[in-house]
Amino acid sequence: MSLSEVKENGEALVSEVRGDTRFMSRITSIGLTPGCRVRVVKNDKNRPLLVFSRDTMIALNRKECMGITVEEVTA
Amino acid sequence: MSAGATIALLGQPNSGKSTLFNALTGLRQHVGNWPGKTVEKKEGSFSYGGKEYRVADLPGSYSLSANSDEEVITRDFIASGEADVVCILADSSQLQRSLFMLADYAGINVPCFLLLNMADVAEDQGKTIDAKTIEKKLGIPVVPFSATDIRSYDSFYKTLEKALSKDSRINVEELAAQYGSIKGYQDICDLIPENVLEGYSPMWLAVKVLEKDEVVIAKLKNALDAETFGRIEEAARGTNGAVATGGCKFRWIDELLGETVSAGNNTVRLSRLDRIYTNKFWGKAAVILTVLLGLIASFIPALPLMGVGEAVLAVKAPVMNALYSIGCPEFLILIVGDVIIQSFSYIFKMLGFVFGVTLVFGLLEEVGVMARISYVFDNTMGKLGLQGKSVMPFLVSFGCTMGGAAGARVIDNWGQKVLTIALAWAVPCGAAWATIPMLASIFFGPGAVGVIVAILFTMLVHMWITAKVFGGQLVKKEDRYGMIMELPPYHKPKWGALFRYVLGRTKETFIRVTKVILLVCGIFWLLSYSPSGNGGILYSIGVAIEPVTRIFGLPWQLFLSYVASAVGKEGAVGVISALYSGGSYGNAFTQAMSGGADTSNLSSLLLANVTKPEALAFIFAMTFNMPCVVALAATFQETHSAKWTARIVLYYTVVSLILAFIAYHIGMLIW
Ligand SMILES: Nc1nc2c(ncn2[C@@H]2O[C@H](COP(=O)(O)OP(=O)(O)O)[C@@H](O)[C@H]2O)c(=O)[nH]1
Repeated sequence: MSLSEVKENGEALVSEVRGDTRFMSRITSIGLTPGCRVRVVKNDKNRPLLVFSRDTMIALNRKECMGITVEEVTA
Repeated sequence: MSAGATIALLGQPNSGKSTLFNALTGLRQHVGNWPGKTVEKKEGSFSYGGKEYRVADLPGSYSLSANSDEEVITRDFIASGEADVVCILADSSQLQRSLFMLADYAGINVPCFLLLNMADVAEDQGKTIDAKTIEKKLGIPVVPFSATDIRSYDSFYKTLEKALSKDSRINVEELAAQYGSIKGYQDICDLIPENVLEGYSPMWLAVKVLEKDEVVIAKLKNALDAETFGRIEEAARGTNGAVATGGCKFRWIDELLGETVSAGNNTVRLSRLDRIYTNKFWGKAAVILTVLLGLIASFIPALPLMGVGEAVLAVKAPVMNALYSIGCPEFLILIVGDVIIQSFSYIFKMLGFVFGVTLVFGLLEEVGVMARISYVFDNTMGKLGLQGKSVMPFLVSFGCTMGGAAGARVIDNWGQKVLTIALAWAVPCGAAWATIPMLASIFFGPGAVGVIVAILFTMLVHMWITAKVFGGQLVKKEDRYGMIMELPPYHKPKWGALFRYVLGRTKETFIRVTKVILLVCGIFWLLSYSPSGNGGILYSIGVAIEPVTRIFGLPWQLFLSYVASAVGKEGAVGVISALYSGGSYGNAFTQAMSGGADTSNLSSLLLANVTKPEALAFIFAMTFNMPCVVALAATFQETHSAKWTARIVLYYTVVSLILAFIAYHIGMLIW
């Protein structure tokens, strides 16, 4: 599933990151790489997604999130 | 004093680079642009141990890829050898993530050391970090540090000297081993000779090739023979780019940190304030309220300096009288009174506002509120090619355009900053809002409401068009991406550092804008001066070109007060009233500017002399004219580009006349 489909407060493992060179480089440098664990903190339509990963709160444009595939982790 | 080394500061956003840079250099800094680039260049110097060091605060974001001009400039500056040592900053409270910059740097052949900044924050979270072990593994000096704590700077200087004397480089063996697991890496690495591109190791270049870094690939193509380059391209095919190399970097970081970091309790919950800002329904309102409160609050620290401005104005008359009584030539008296004293009155009022706005909005930036504003308005402002933060200068400009321009400082991309200021000029300021309803109600009675609505609508369209006109050059396509940024935790404000910064900024503004304001006021004064008290160059021109200005709906009296409104909107009405009651332009101009013009019988004067379409034309021309001399000076100060300031002025002059033309002709149809 896509990262933007994870419900608020849900946790997930990033399984794949796809996109153009630019996107891959930017998303990697902020720490979202395959295998890393994220927690979706805020997921409202028309607002950037808020996720918490590697001790960092990250705001992500919704469209850009399309390329991030995750597997949900059941707590 | 002997020349010391040049230090380059490198780190991800929010790692504390600016804090360190400001603390090191104080007032000894210079902000300009990189030659030929729309990227800001921040340099400064400090002395320590009898040596004079140069510091460069490098622009950039989360990595050293070719994503933006900033990043390319940063890595080329370092690799070119201009810096003798690179100081890499990481945030101890988010160590794993923020060490990415170090991993991306590894392989560039310039000595470096690592500052584990925000040591105090990590400590508060109950984290302990074993810097000694990290230092041993990395092979470069590593120190825990707090950029906001003056006492920790001793360790900075010591480490700096150590890195320089030891010529310390990162031990990249383990990292290279990680990269070795990527298919094709080793082949590419072997194909790239040492020193093919100055400053970069084959490992670093091979990784960038894998990341499909266009700039590096183009350079290699140039430097290598076609066959070798072809084999490199072949080997790079089908790899997973930045995701694969990024994975290696983080695995290396994980091994590096190993047991050296004991986890604290870093909570995931949003604070109460963040729950409000990120709320679907209240978020935007909360941001607007925050900015408006900030605007009001910025008047409090501004008041003393504004008072000085008023006091300067109050001595104008006595000084001029005194000069008369000792028989000084009139020309000189007028220059002293109407140009110099008048300008300094403006300057002090402006400084008051710059001080207030920089303090309050600097505070909001410092504590982290500005990042929330970015988040909330990302979608809206993104449509104009701007960052969410740009909403703040826009709102402030409803009060005062100069404040908006000064507030645009928090936008870290130069092009977006200039574009924000250019758009903020379209927002009618407080002085315009005082004039519009007054004029509109004289002519249109209750219809004034309609005029105000039309002005607001025009403002939005104007901003949208202006964003299209200038956006292409100022904001590159690759900078128009969706938001990927850290929402930093809230920080307690550090008042000492903040005040030092704000005072420095105010002083710098004073030095720079004094010239601009004296010059512009001087020119306007000269143009409106006439020895006989009647006439003057501007007057003669205005009368001569009246047939032209009438096309825009402006008889010469209105045209001249339109010109005056470029100096200050406050004065425009005073000039009209003086001109229609038969006063001279020269006197009207200076009186109106100092607020002394007589506007008592304005409404009968206007109704007797000005038609409704002309009035409408004037309202639009005045409102969308250049905001004032002070806004001009502030724009120059923030953009540090005379070229762009001039372009914006010219653009606004033309557009305001076009708007007057449209308003006039629509008015003619109605009335
Ligand atoms: N507590 C604490 N705050 C810091 C430290 N260094 C920087 N800050 C704060 O962190 C925020 C971001 O710092 P800044 O210098 O703007 O980061 P930059 O984006 O790298 O230039 C600011 O609010 C600083 O006051 C530190 O060592 N300790």
